[in-house]
Amino acid sequence: MPETTSQPAQLRGQTWVFGDNLNTDVLHPPSYYSLDPNIVRSGLFKGIDANLQERVRAGDMIVGGHNFGCGSSRETSIRSLQLNGIAAVVALDFARIFFRNATNHGIPCCRIVNPEELAAFRHGGEATLHLDAGFFELPDGRQVKLAPVGEFVRKVWAAGGLLGLLP
Amino acid sequence: MNGTFSDSVLDAHAIDADRDAEVLHVSLDAVLGHDATIALLVDEFRKRKLSVWDRSRVLFVNDHFSPAASVERANISRLFINFSRELRIDNLAIDKGICHQLLVEHALCAPGALIVGADSHTIMGGGVGACCTGMGTTDVLYALATGSTWLRRPSGIKVRFTGSLPPHCSGRDVLLALLGQLGEDGAQYRSVELYDHCSKPIGQDDRFAISNMMVEAGAKFGVFIPDQVTIDYCTKRDGKAPRPLPLPSPGAHYESTIELDLSALTPQVAKPYSPANVASVREVDGTKITHAFLGSCSSGRLEDLRVAADVLRGQQVHPEVRFVVIPASMKIFKEALRLGYVETLTEAGAVFNQTSCGPCGGIDKGLLGAGDVCVSTSSRNFRGRMGDVASSTYLASARTVAHAALSGRLVDYA
Repeated sequence: MPETTSQPAQLRGQTWVFGDNLNTDVLHPPSYYSLDPNIVRSGLFKGIDANLQERVRAGDMIVGGHNFGCGSSRETSIRSLQLNGIAAVVALDFARIFFRNATNHGIPCCRIVNPEELAAFRHGGEATLHLDAGFFELPDGRQVKLAPVGEFVRKVWAAGGLLGLLP
Repeated sequence: MNGTFSDSVLDAHAIDADRDAEVLHVSLDAVLGHDATIALLVDEFRKRKLSVWDRSRVLFVNDHFSPAASVERANISRLFINFSRELRIDNLAIDKGICHQLLVEHALCAPGALIVGADSHTIMGGGVGACCTGMGTTDVLYALATGSTWLRRPSGIKVRFTGSLPPHCSGRDVLLALLGQLGEDGAQYRSVELYDHCSKPIGQDDRFAISNMMVEAGAKFGVFIPDQVTIDYCTKRDGKAPRPLPLPSPGAHYESTIELDLSALTPQVAKPYSPANVASVREVDGTKITHAFLGSCSSGRLEDLRVAADVLRGQQVHPEVRFVVIPASMKIFKEALRLGYVETLTEAGAVFNQTSCGPCGGIDKGLLGAGDVCVSTSSRNFRGRMGDVASSTYLASARTVAHAALSGRLVDYA
């Protein structure tokens, strides 16, 4: 469930890079649907790479192509991101349910402005996300610009997630 | 604002005066939930001591673990049922069908209604002209507590159907053809508005199939503009005609328009591993299969069972194929029993499982093992969706599934 703190301005971590149309069934396969946090945590990326979850560290970020997170609405995929400490997801664009779910849990989803800059990220490389300034900084100093985030989404982030807006 | 159908529905539900806001705060006519996704919000809902805004406008359905096949899932189902009773939800259906089918069998799903549900295929209510969309658990928790949600106003894609559906094709072939054109993200965030200008209108079951799968192109809504078919269905269902039908403005502006002449349609499949990886059955003719599945919210309706029974009547399922059939609701199952479809299919070697989501979401009986090749009427064929990551699924119509079950291969029967 949502964190109670708002996002820090800078996030530094490893980047895990994927292509277009990454669906939630491979991001977190249905067989890992559970109320047990250990099972949910262990299911991350299992439909893509059986060993990747073990390499994930708190603060890591996911980089995706078009239509990131299409498919099922199961929030266990978002819980798994949280349980593994994924700090943000950046992509060329997002499937709407994934975007809502991640935002509702205070996980920033940001769009990369120039699609060709996606190639600058390395799978397992490192980067720093400057959330307020709206750009990614790569180890060689290059900056990757992110699209501005709307006012409503910032309000949800600031509330620590959607439930912070409950009357 | 573009005067689209969804614009008029959202305007009728807007809470704040600013209709041009980036995100609209809107009131809801109903909220849908099921065991697998509602179970995730129970602790938070109780902890916050929340209550449901209107018990009569909530439909909760135990359909994923229905009945449960493992102890863990039995506990999840029990948690969901206990929670639903604690909230005194008026419409609680346990093992009576798939939530999306039960929603469209309910008067809450009226033309022009705005409904959210804790499952992506909630969009299926668009088949009767309701603006329905899927969300995650947290959004649905908010909706349950407040009777409202936040939505961006979607731009529209107009789909205009003309001609008439050939006898060997169904709504499943229509939607696959559409997905092939749109791609997996071609309707991302959009309201897909479906205009039936066919010489013989598209039947209601076929409309449900089409609306259901618009989410596979990323759509927010996949809504048929209400017409006589809608009126007839709602009148029969509710015992009275629906309230005046909402309509788009005559000059509605759409971002794009797709014209689809159904007369030219041939049977379609979606090849592994995407619902938008579409080909004609002819192109995959001869592909060997080990498993056939007729069910899920995208199919499993009476017309689908009728077609399969017609194909298999007096014949036997191929010895190397396991053919699993799951009616989408108990009402459909009972009707199929009465009409003899269940007997015909059972005599042919099909295995009926209880009304539920079954193997579609990779969680219940009928799962695929490594190396299995399935032809299915379900909604998704992502890698590992229906079982082992080394299995694969072709999405198709009930007719294509039945022919494949009979011959052990995908066959071009048209």
